[in-house]
Amino acid sequence: MSQRSVTHWLIHHAARHAPESLSERLEEEWLADLEARTSMMSRLRFAIGCCWATQVIVFEHQPERVAVSSPAIGPKSLIAYADQNFSFVSLRSSMFFLVLSLHIVLIYGFMTALSHTNRNAIPDPLQNQARPRSRPNELPPLLPAPDLKHVPIEVPKLETELRYEPDPDGGVTTDTVHEHLPPTPPTPSTPHVAKRVEGGTGAGFPDTADFYPSVSIRLGEQGSSTVRVCVDAKGRLTSDPTTAKGSGSTRLDEGALRLARAGSGHYRAATEDGQPVNSCYSLGIRFQLKN
Amino acid sequence: MGKKDRKVRMSLQTLRVLGEFLENPAELLSGAEVHQRCGIASGTLYPILLRLESAGWFVSQWESIDPSSAGRPRRRLYRLTSTGLKRASEVFASFNRGVLA
Repeated sequence: MSQRSVTHWLIHHAARHAPESLSERLEEEWLADLEARTSMMSRLRFAIGCCWATQVIVFEHQPERVAVSSPAIGPKSLIAYADQNFSFVSLRSSMFFLVLSLHIVLIYGFMTALSHTNRNAIPDPLQNQARPRSRPNELPPLLPAPDLKHVPIEVPKLETELRYEPDPDGGVTTDTVHEHLPPTPPTPSTPHVAKRVEGGTGAGFPDTADFYPSVSIRLGEQGSSTVRVCVDAKGRLTSDPTTAKGSGSTRLDEGALRLARAGSGHYRAATEDGQPVNSCYSLGIRFQLKN
Repeated sequence: MGKKDRKVRMSLQTLRVLGEFLENPAELLSGAEVHQRCGIASGTLYPILLRLESAGWFVSQWESIDPSSAGRPRRRLYRLTSTGLKRASEVFASFNRGVLA
């Protein structure tokens, strides 16, 4: 059903339900005024408005109502008004549903038209065709077995000797590992052992009390923390000191690390045959409260 | 339609229709033209026109054209009567005085 026939049908329907004396006149008048409308929605609104107008005209052309209630209940005008209102609500609801259904029809029409347009715009989906398998049940031929021969592999023997030499001065030991590839010929004389002196704290090293954590002082924490430091020949740290053995208190360990860092440049470097060398060693730091 | 001078219930839309006719009382206007000028929907406009015609404020007549030669159906044209002109003027005068008729 086209939009034109819908609007004409609505006007015919509205005029047919108008009072008999006005039916033909209203239909002709409304159809003439409908031609003045240009847009589709305007024509549709006009036709729906004519349906509403018919209801109002029919209501106004009805014979005057007579109140069946006693005048003691209320004025006649009030009763008539109430009657009008009941009729009006019903009429309003019916028109609401009529407009709603028309909107639904229109929206459906637009959607179906759009979907048709979109369907034409979208190309045909790809056709997936499975390739037939030439030999579905046959396995590929096996490759010939390789001719493997046992080849012995000779690995040269690695000799490692670990020797510990005591420090003649302070009892500090140095680990030295010698690897011999190939083995060295025996030397006629005894090997030269360098005289090594481990480092420690030197002159100007900060005072431990300056790095005693204040919280630990208030809490009465005491203990020893062992810090591993690596220093160069000039007594400067070559890497960040680490805690080798904790005191049991994180605060004291942190204070020991701060002290070790602050002492960079004031360490006494280790010596080998009297010459300062780079070395790493452990440094015990004790935090103790005085009474 | 009775041609009696009856009291008409005034609404804002009725006043707008009357005001449009009062601008040129001798002018004949169709429902479509009143809608174009006032913007009142058809569901409200035609009952107002019929109400005013029934009250004797308006008279209506068919447009004097040949639909086949004009290429469109003839329209129903409305015009203020002398009674309608008088009553509508009174209504608007009462508004000017600040009294609702």
